[in-house]
Amino acid sequence: MHPALTTKDMIQERARMLSSCRAFFAERNVTEVDCCALRPFAAISSNIDVIPAQVTTSQVAYLHTSPEYAMKRLLSSGCSDIYYLGHVFRQGDIGRLHSPEFTMAEWYRIGVTFEEMIQETCDFIAQFLGPLPIRKISYREAFEKYLSIDYVNVSIEALRKIAEPAAPDCAKWKRSELIHFILSHFIEPNFGKNELTIFLDYPPYEADLACLIEKNGELVAERFEAYYQGVELCNGYHELPDGTELRHRFEEENVARIKAGKPTYALDEGFLSALGPQFPNCCGVAVGFDRLLLLKHKLNSLSQVLPFAYPYP
Amino acid sequence: MSATTNEIRIGNKVEVDKEPYIILGNEFVKPGKGAAFNKIKMKNMINGRVLERTYKSGEKLDLADIEDFNMTYLYREDDGAVFMDQKTFDQVSVGGDLIRPIAQWLVEEVIYQVVVYKGEVIEVTPPFFLEMTVAETSPGVRGDSSGRVLKPAVTNTGAEINVPIFIDAGERIKVDTRTGEYASRVND
Repeated sequence: MHPALTTKDMIQERARMLSSCRAFFAERNVTEVDCCALRPFAAISSNIDVIPAQVTTSQVAYLHTSPEYAMKRLLSSGCSDIYYLGHVFRQGDIGRLHSPEFTMAEWYRIGVTFEEMIQETCDFIAQFLGPLPIRKISYREAFEKYLSIDYVNVSIEALRKIAEPAAPDCAKWKRSELIHFILSHFIEPNFGKNELTIFLDYPPYEADLACLIEKNGELVAERFEAYYQGVELCNGYHELPDGTELRHRFEEENVARIKAGKPTYALDEGFLSALGPQFPNCCGVAVGFDRLLLLKHKLNSLSQVLPFAYPYP
Repeated sequence: MSATTNEIRIGNKVEVDKEPYIILGNEFVKPGKGAAFNKIKMKNMINGRVLERTYKSGEKLDLADIEDFNMTYLYREDDGAVFMDQKTFDQVSVGGDLIRPIAQWLVEEVIYQVVVYKGEVIEVTPPFFLEMTVAETSPGVRGDSSGRVLKPAVTNTGAEINVPIFIDAGERIKVDTRTGEYASRVND
């Protein structure tokens, strides 16, 4: 681990990197959009909790977990290539690599292919981490390579056997939790050791807001993440243009939230109705800016790169 | 009593597999848009073994029924020792397994930290600095007062330590119990 930056150096480095981000987008004619962080509707995901804010004595709004819904409404209303560079908020995400408030660079490109979006994301990351070899590995390949399992057909008992030594309570866990546990503990640490790893072809149930596509006879989500030094840096999709399908996915996420004892969130009808024929064919990605800064300086904790880091245990 | 994995902090004491553990670290782990976990590092308070276990974020861990007491050392008993709680004046017998390793640091009237788990003493810690009397050592040599030149000595509690050459038998000294080293001379 490298020595921590002084506060002054860190502030100057953040400023330089924010300028580089803006220059990157300016060169490509991508327009900055300054979306409101305070939203009347929460993003719906079973694994992401939203920070509520009391706006009036009777009204609760939510701090955005990403500007995705707002940006997609802008895309639908005719704004073309756009980016957001600003803060987002997530409840409970507090740790060495997580902060409940962090800076995100999120952008959407119209008419590009999924592959082109991955390449542009790698170029964006390379401005900060330097040129790195790129390795692509699918969800299926990763489980085969690191654990010799077929993640679709493997039994839940076999998954428990892998997890048990490190997590004796896993007998109570659902299949998806076991998969996430194995992914975070046994697979992700191998990613990006000497290269930028692009993890892609997610299972359909991990599609989130991505399109599904058939690949080698298997339905996969056009979703990717990039990793360096085992640290996840981004999440990108070929964006799903279908409001009906997305409504169905949101409802499933709300059901999952109920099962997990979490509050459900109302659907953002304004966003759902922005999808449909008027929604352009596009890809989008969100990159964690603070993690880029952390990795660039070979540091270990976000608290070393945030001017006023949220305290954690 | 229990606490969720998000609330657990370094230094908290929890009960896992019916044994008490002290928390050494708690790392939040969350893959992509997946489920969140807490990777918790802890040390067994009885055998010192370090364990790393992962829990789902928000899962509950039982807090260990651990209490810390300030107790005065009274006397040796068989191969154990008897202490007295500073507040209640209750007397507690502590077995030889816990006493033998600290026997050389037992001084009457001194207050010790005693950790009790489910009514049973599991740890006795002497104060960092302890005053004791030099029982045996070669006669003190005047002249060198730097304290850098040392000679062996045995204290009245049986501790074998190195003391500066100017120290005489019968003198009071202060010893660092963490390192077993001479700290200073006590001038009454």
